[in-house]
Amino acid sequence: MTDLVKITVDGREIEVPAGELVIKAAQDHGTYIPRFCWHPRMKEVGMCRMCLVEIETPRGTILTTSCTTPASAGMVVHTASETTKKAQAGILEFLLINHPLDCPVCDKGGECPLQDQTMAYGPGESRFVEEKRHFEKPIPISDLVFLDRERCILCARCTRFADEIAGDPLIEFKDRGNHTQVQTFPDLPFSSYFSGNTVQICPVGALTASAYRFKARPWDLRRVESSCSHCTVGCSIAVEASRNDVLRFNGVDNDATNQGWLSDKCRFGFEFIGSENRLRTPLIKVDGEFQETTWADALDLVAERLGSIIEEHGGEAVGGIGGARSTNEDAYAFGKFMRTVVGSNHLDAQLDDGLDARFLAGVSPRAKIGDLDHAAAILLWAPDLKEESGSLYLRVRHAVQEGGAKLVVIHPRRTGLDDRATHKLTYRPGQGFGLLADLAGGEGDYAAVLETLSHGPVVAIVGRTGLTEAPELAEAVAGFALGLPDATVLPFARRSNVFGALDMGVAPSLLPGRVAADDAEAMAQLEAVWGPIPTHEARDTLGILEGLAVGDLKALILLGADPVRDVPDATVARRGIEAAEFVVAIDLFLTDTNQLADVVLPAEAFGEKEGTVTNLEGRVQKVNRIVTGPGQSQADWAILDDISRRLSKPLAFASAEAICKEIADVAPAYAGMTWELLEWDEKEGAVVPYGEAVQPLIHHPAAADRKALEAMSRQPSSGAFALHLARTLYDDGVLMRNSLSLHALAPGAAVHLHPEDAGRLGVTEGALVEVKSVDASIRLPAVLDSSLLTGVVYVPFNQPWTPSLGAALSVVVAAGKEVSA
Amino acid sequence: MSLWPADVQERAKELIGRYPDPKSAVMPLLYLAMRQDGYLTEAGMGEVAGWTGHTPAQVQSVATFYGMFKTEPLGQYLVSVCTSISCMLLGGDDVLEAVEEATGVPHGETDAERLFSVEHVECLGACGGAPAVQVNYELIEGSTPDQARALCRWLQDERPEVVNTDDMQERFGGRRSFDWAIAESENAVGPYPAFGPYGTTPGGEV
Amino acid sequence: MSHAQVLFARMAEHPTDSHTLVMYEATGGYVQARRAMDMTRDEIVELVKTSGLLGRGGAAFSAGLKWSFLAPARPAYLVVNGDESEPGTFKDRQLLERDPHQMIEGIIIASVANEVREAFIYIRGEYPKPARRVQQAIDEAYAAGYLGKGIFGTDYDLDVTVHLGGGAYICGEETALINSLEGKRGEPRLKPPYFPAAKGLYMMPTIVNNVETVSNLPHIFEMGTDDYRALGHATDTGTFLFSVSGHVKEPGNYELPHGITWRELIFDVAGGMREDRGLKAWIPGGASAPWFVPEHHLDLEITKEATGAAGSMLGSGAVVVMDETTCVVKAAERVVRFFSHESCGQCTPCREGTTWLEMILRRIEAGSGRPIDAELLLDVSDNISPGLTWPPKQTTICPLGPSAVSPITSVAKYFADELRQHIVQGGCPLD
Repeated sequence: MTDLVKITVDGREIEVPAGELVIKAAQDHGTYIPRFCWHPRMKEVGMCRMCLVEIETPRGTILTTSCTTPASAGMVVHTASETTKKAQAGILEFLLINHPLDCPVCDKGGECPLQDQTMAYGPGESRFVEEKRHFEKPIPISDLVFLDRERCILCARCTRFADEIAGDPLIEFKDRGNHTQVQTFPDLPFSSYFSGNTVQICPVGALTASAYRFKARPWDLRRVESSCSHCTVGCSIAVEASRNDVLRFNGVDNDATNQGWLSDKCRFGFEFIGSENRLRTPLIKVDGEFQETTWADALDLVAERLGSIIEEHGGEAVGGIGGARSTNEDAYAFGKFMRTVVGSNHLDAQLDDGLDARFLAGVSPRAKIGDLDHAAAILLWAPDLKEESGSLYLRVRHAVQEGGAKLVVIHPRRTGLDDRATHKLTYRPGQGFGLLADLAGGEGDYAAVLETLSHGPVVAIVGRTGLTEAPELAEAVAGFALGLPDATVLPFARRSNVFGALDMGVAPSLLPGRVAADDAEAMAQLEAVWGPIPTHEARDTLGILEGLAVGDLKALILLGADPVRDVPDATVARRGIEAAEFVVAIDLFLTDTNQLADVVLPAEAFGEKEGTVTNLEGRVQKVNRIVTGPGQSQADWAILDDISRRLSKPLAFASAEAICKEIADVAPAYAGMTWELLEWDEKEGAVVPYGEAVQPLIHHPAAADRKALEAMSRQPSSGAFALHLARTLYDDGVLMRNSLSLHALAPGAAVHLHPEDAGRLGVTEGALVEVKSVDASIRLPAVLDSSLLTGVVYVPFNQPWTPSLGAALSVVVAAGKEVSA
Repeated sequence: MSLWPADVQERAKELIGRYPDPKSAVMPLLYLAMRQDGYLTEAGMGEVAGWTGHTPAQVQSVATFYGMFKTEPLGQYLVSVCTSISCMLLGGDDVLEAVEEATGVPHGETDAERLFSVEHVECLGACGGAPAVQVNYELIEGSTPDQARALCRWLQDERPEVVNTDDMQERFGGRRSFDWAIAESENAVGPYPAFGPYGTTPGGEV
Repeated sequence: MSHAQVLFARMAEHPTDSHTLVMYEATGGYVQARRAMDMTRDEIVELVKTSGLLGRGGAAFSAGLKWSFLAPARPAYLVVNGDESEPGTFKDRQLLERDPHQMIEGIIIASVANEVREAFIYIRGEYPKPARRVQQAIDEAYAAGYLGKGIFGTDYDLDVTVHLGGGAYICGEETALINSLEGKRGEPRLKPPYFPAAKGLYMMPTIVNNVETVSNLPHIFEMGTDDYRALGHATDTGTFLFSVSGHVKEPGNYELPHGITWRELIFDVAGGMREDRGLKAWIPGGASAPWFVPEHHLDLEITKEATGAAGSMLGSGAVVVMDETTCVVKAAERVVRFFSHESCGQCTPCREGTTWLEMILRRIEAGSGRPIDAELLLDVSDNISPGLTWPPKQTTICPLGPSAVSPITSVAKYFADELRQHIVQGGCPLD
């Protein structure tokens, strides 16, 4: 721990960590020193000079910047002396001489640090009578951000963020002195996945977001804090709305998760909430066409059809898919509905794109995100975090740059963190097991990698690098990783509240509260509350879809799930759903999947309901309501409750909060979890098992030996390529489709080939290439990608206007004349 | 993939090799890029980015910080007139006016046929020989408005492919800061400093 | 005039070939560097400390003491600052052009003293001829085995690289120079924590010395510290290069001891005023220095102390002389314009303040001055350099901004009437 020293600020003695910057030390003890360039999450630059204070030194009293001065014992600081006040007023006058003062039409007006600090510290009037600096304004610097160089006060927050935090130095100062301006390179926009953060940290209205420009005045906005739903980190956000429209997300600094940052997907991915495509009334299909209907009629129909199927074929003829986009309360309701009302164990929150549910819920010891900051080494064998989890990407970057962690990245292709990696290992999909065996063996080139990983603490982020990869690989990787010194594992899966849904038992192998479904004792305890739970063998998503296709299952309940877009093999999904006798979907939109349903029920979205969610660490956080859902939409749990009543097995839920209390009662790892505990004042959330709670399922993957690993290794068939199929930040998922600012940013479908393979096939950049899998064939433009190994092709998953390729490892690539017309 | 000819690429590698970090070579390479295109083009900056490991935005940021990396097209002759304090005291402003008049190019601009670029500059370190003028960074000390006009006319009429500081000083200069004494054999070929290692001398690559 | 010539001696005696290795060796060259090879770091540092050599770049800090601060981490770097750009200064140019080996020998001594294996000479971009001369000399020194692998037949490797600047005065500030050499914008770094001797080039220990400073080293070795000290004044040892410019009959670089008077410098050494006009004011130590006027300062001794006590500095030794026909508003505008143009733009007061001052001065000179402007000039200056004290206090990372204030305070102090006349008459009274 850092030593504490006593310093005196404005006559008051305070105790602060030695070396802490005076500006922060003073603030932590209630003395705010004005500033523009200093940001607690970035390195100090001392540029704006707004934080000048007087400090007594052995060589006399000096006027200096408190953002660059570390506290030392006995330091005496004056933040409001006459000299300080004059200097601060002088700085503000200087900043304002070239500022346009167009505050009435500036998005920042009303929440502008320049306005606020001028009010508090500035001169009342300007003595500047010369001509102000002029620039063309505003100019777009990316698809999402506009720049007004006249408003800019050159604090370098945006340029430092781009370079230091995001690792995308695409905006920089240009020119010098009084002509200095922020600029991109011509034709190279600030196309960072994190560009929106610069809008939030800009202390004036120089950077504005296209999604928010001229939409509202800050004083008309209502605000709640919540947890972002776009990936499994659960970043803390402020949701702001005017009237009944959500208009803006901003990052909130939660040290445990996002430290204030958001990816643009999360920041601008609010647009779907207010989309005109949202479902507003229940729909039933009559003669192949959807018709609007009343809740009563729709629910009657659902109860009648489900009831008769259950009566005729038993509950196990019904499958349930979804829950990962819901709150914990909704997911719990879904699990309880399936198991006790329907009487089926066939339910899964994952869409055949994840990992073993017991691994995700129970891997132990499990890392927290904050552990990355103190790791000596980080093993990242998971999807490209830049594409799948922006804030986790930033956190790993930060851990390497500031914490000094050594990073080992293992992936079939280039990733966003390669430039920070001490070691990067590239492999062919299917061959990960062999690579793992080699790495564990530590022979030859692997010795250095193993050496890096032999210094603890080691944090391993383990997930599935691509959709063609065997889920078992992650288990094996975790088994290896846990043998490293002082190692913890952070299991990675991507879909918003998937960890919460699994913890609520929405998985074939789990019961609520991190309990294995085959844990007889726990099962008995749950049945004491729930009543009888069926004992038949449970199917996962793929099993459900295949069961529907062959008629083993008859009906399907979808809860915020779009298997046709999200299950890697869309053909399997479509075949299963089309064969089902009855499909009911609870959702926000009429998705490609819901088009095939019999009944579609409108649900409430993020921002329209309260509840809790759980992130990949097991951190439970609260999500809050700020607007009401469109039309007649309802919360998932309430819809399920209504159906249960009509099936004469009422769940009898009173409210989401009441469900949370029930969860705390029946789900062991969630014991003691209450909404009060999660009030946003502390912003940290609570990691389960919290306090006295215990987690029954402790999953400790074992290290596999070389023989076992090599036996799992897979090769593409002769003459075929190994397919790497992976998600991109922006894609054709339903939420992205309905967030117009972002949908256009999807990179689009393409097939990436190693230049040598391309040369062999006679393919040049941009040429049309045919990729054939077992049951699909698509034509895509070629991209030469030397980060792949030969014999591997990469195809981004779920791009607009592109059919599914399936998730088989082997694909055949045809070029030139062999491309079918 | 570099667009530069092989010998220029060799030069770039050699310059990078002079520094512990390739990023340090950005300024030498910017001069090299100016030598290729006559001024600093976007392509040139992109090229330098590729060699040094900066992003193009970073190269642009560095280049535009310094006054001598010009990102707008330049004339064959960059005429720089010092109007800082010592030169101002001895008529630097009048020399500037004479240059503007003789070339028809106001300071900060380049003529349409790209013969002349004219600029007034801050101190050239020739205060003892004020007022000072440079043509493509080759120095003339103790010039007068008449001599400056004659200099411009000479450039216009003769269009010399290279300029030599001793030669220009002899024809168009006056009092020097100190005795130059040693004959200068190197010449300048374009609007960038002529320095052998940077390939910006007449023997350097085109 | 019979002052001892040291740095300028060789070029005076052998004008056409003082730059060649042959002549340098014929006049005792590289003997001292060879001697230094057999000395320890501590011995050399102590010798240079004892010599009293002060940095010649403007700050006049003890060179030996600066070396003694070098942190133990290695590699350490030496950077020779040849970015001479302060208006009025042109002495390094003469050293670079006419006696480059003298500097290179100094570089070898400084490198050995500081365990440096890689040195850089940063020469301003507008000095291609000096850079070429230095490069020729370096090539000769490599060929002779004085630079490169195993210099002087020892196992000591030393590489020296010339780096041309790009036209930015601020790169004369040592941390800005280091940034520039790293391929960045030449913006000064925060001090603390980035003191070059601890965290300099590539965050490694780095010595930054001026061309003239380094060029003194062979002479200190050759004549010994006692004789070297005896060349100068008690606290200002050795000789000092003055660059005299402006309205004098004989402008030029002069190698002089400290301790003569300004009257001697301007009227004897530099030949007196052109056309025998009256002396109005002079800048005693480069554009950053507050001005002196004949009524108060002509018989002042030229020493660091006396100049400082009189409210100015010797800086880089640039003396700019202005006669009675000079408009002080225009002169001030030109100096302020320089700093505004050369501001790196990081700090608000410097970036905005110097430009504002320049605009006000230009408006006054053009005849649109307002009565409030005289006071406004001083208050804006005060917001850049609080209290308008000497030495100046600064609200900025480096001293460039406060430097721009010197001409304003000088005009306010000595020429308030002339400023007022500009405003009252709506134009320049000297036109």
